[in-house]
Amino acid sequence: MKKNNILLKTLLMSTSSLNIFRYTTDKKKKGKIVGAFFGLLALYAMLMFYFIAACVGYGKIGIIDSVPVLCSVSISMLAFFFTIFKTNGYLFNFREYDMLMSLPFEAKTVAACKFLYMYVKSLPWYQSISLSMMIGYGIYAKPSPVTYILWIVLSLFLPIIPMLVASFLGFIIARISAGFRKTNIVQTILTVALVLFAFSIRFIMEDLFRNNKVEEVLTDMSGVTDNMAGYYLPAKWFANAITKSGISDALLLVGLSVILFTAVFVIVGRSYRNINSSLKNHAASKNYSMTSQKTKSVLNSIAFKELKRMTGSTAYMVNGGMGQILCTIAGILVLIVGFDNAVTMITQNAPFDHAIIRPAIPFIIYFFIGMVATTACSPSLEGKSYWIIKSLPLSMKTVYRGKMLFNMYATVPFMTFGILCLCISSKTPFVESLLYIILGIVLCAFSTAWGCVCGVKHLKLDWENEIEVIKQSSAVVIYMFPNMIRTMLFAAGAVILGRVMDNRLIALIFIVFESALAMLCYARVMALAKKNK
Amino acid sequence: MSAMLEIKNYTKSYGSGKKAADNVSLTVEAGDIFGFIGHNGAGKSTTIRAVVGVLDFTEGDIFIDGHSVKTEPIECKKITAYIPDNPDLYENLTGIQYLNFIADVFEIGAAEREELIRKYADAFEITDALGDLISSYSHGMKQKVAIISALIHSPKLLVLDEPFVGLDPKAAFVLKELMHEMCGKGTAIFFSTHVLDVAEKLCNKVAIIKQGRIIDVGTMEELTEGHSLEEAFLEADNEEK
Repeated sequence: MKKNNILLKTLLMSTSSLNIFRYTTDKKKKGKIVGAFFGLLALYAMLMFYFIAACVGYGKIGIIDSVPVLCSVSISMLAFFFTIFKTNGYLFNFREYDMLMSLPFEAKTVAACKFLYMYVKSLPWYQSISLSMMIGYGIYAKPSPVTYILWIVLSLFLPIIPMLVASFLGFIIARISAGFRKTNIVQTILTVALVLFAFSIRFIMEDLFRNNKVEEVLTDMSGVTDNMAGYYLPAKWFANAITKSGISDALLLVGLSVILFTAVFVIVGRSYRNINSSLKNHAASKNYSMTSQKTKSVLNSIAFKELKRMTGSTAYMVNGGMGQILCTIAGILVLIVGFDNAVTMITQNAPFDHAIIRPAIPFIIYFFIGMVATTACSPSLEGKSYWIIKSLPLSMKTVYRGKMLFNMYATVPFMTFGILCLCISSKTPFVESLLYIILGIVLCAFSTAWGCVCGVKHLKLDWENEIEVIKQSSAVVIYMFPNMIRTMLFAAGAVILGRVMDNRLIALIFIVFESALAMLCYARVMALAKKNK
Repeated sequence: MSAMLEIKNYTKSYGSGKKAADNVSLTVEAGDIFGFIGHNGAGKSTTIRAVVGVLDFTEGDIFIDGHSVKTEPIECKKITAYIPDNPDLYENLTGIQYLNFIADVFEIGAAEREELIRKYADAFEITDALGDLISSYSHGMKQKVAIISALIHSPKLLVLDEPFVGLDPKAAFVLKELMHEMCGKGTAIFFSTHVLDVAEKLCNKVAIIKQGRIIDVGTMEELTEGHSLEEAFLEADNEEK
């Protein structure tokens, strides 16, 4: 136990901004840490505001008792999905594996501490949801002081079971992949398949519970979560503990979390070294014979290097390529089921003319493609290899152009395919479709350049784990949230404008506007590159 | 003398069937400074990483002071120290925070750790920098911290992978002196190197590995037979072609 504490404390300290702030003499670095801290505080505040507002909505329509269930289901689902994306990189295949495993730690201790580290690092997100819902619940339900204590304590346990399940699934994937020669590729394919399966299960469940009735949105949501909690017992235990002061339910939640934690890491510990040996070591075939070599332009060469960097990392592939995969699947599905049926399914038979959604088609596809831009993390992912690009006879402008080119290669074909599928399915006229495709490409250009602004501005080379850069870096957070809000607003704006304006004109306006934004961001990247030399 | 490290028929195969190490056997006794030499990709680091319990292996077994790396890994690690060729330390800890982490893991008391850290940090002239973040260190400084972290728990077996890479001449000299001092006290030292001159001056035993197989092993005298280690290495290498 003592060694667990030592290791966990050190893992947390080794990535703690506070520790860097205390000991670094670099004033610029200190400033960035303070900036990132306030940025995160603002994000937590936004998240809390959203959930308190949701609770107020629940309170006003008299279903405040559903809030504990909603809280537990939301946290559990978030914890499950976040962990799937992070398991590879946190639990397996991490950088300091050799150093830790050569010390007298049991394999299960290392794995368990890595899990706890992942848990502690994501806890502020889950707690900001939990505490805000507790406040909202408190305002309307006026529970006893004991309920608050129970809520706080139990919400600490809520993410553990879904995180353990996701980690265990990640372990099984890593275990299976370890038996293959192309470990990384197998692991990536299996992880993507798991994520898609989890997504589909979620939608199937929601669809089942909705019973195809168009009801008031909040009531409907409440019904969905209540029903889901019926199947996912820990969520029900949490809700019962809060609303009915069910001590046995509270004990069940805590007990099961502890038992599962112990069981999972006993099992993981048994093959931990074997899995990591396979993931970290690759046999050299030593059978290459020199053949004629192809040349590439400098920009294409950098883009190719980015492609190899991405395909060489399961975490990067899963996080960076999921939007493209989902977009392709969504496009094909819409082609099969038809645009009208798809809109009917999503909007639950809401009575409106589906054609009004057409101006938003590029933004709908962008929602899949644009939420992650490789340019937001690729500058930082250079990490210890940064010296390579710095020592090449290339300006940083060229390097960033190469990185941006790769993101365009990785997004434009999928964007075009997705828009084409939706346009064909919705029988959008040719010129309008063409304009949507152009708008899609412009949106990709914006996403690429905006990502690069964030990636270069918040460059972080001294990371311990690539997941820190791919999923949790300031660059990625700053890229993603404004982009998400902006896309939702623009999609809504396009639909509203579509009622008073020709769709082609709307597309043209957005093309001009997005082009201007993309160019501004590109100019900013070039200015930053000049500064970085 | 007792065997401190015993590698018995160690084989490491990859999924493709390719063998990184093939039936490797050797013994390092207490007080030995054992050099492990070979070409790039010959299997030195793979063997070393298996010895220190980082890498799983297919066949054979490795014993440290009589404990099997496979079945008693913790017992083995308690008495072993490992210095990799390119140490991945926690960059956002200070040097002293990292050393305290290692000292905590090996349960070294406050007074003892203070004395040992001071002794080794002074010897490597890095005491002043221990309060700085490791991310601000040069490669050589990181190597020095890794060496100090390996020495502070007084291991019975010291395993080093290319330990002299990145060290300045003074630090390399200090390390050689410390290696002599440790083997005088009964510590066994097993290290890989490409610098044959260093191996020749430092080691009493040597093994040459090629394509995963040991092609020659013995005392320095047995291997060199009056020639230089470089000549002996090249001769053994040519005979195997």
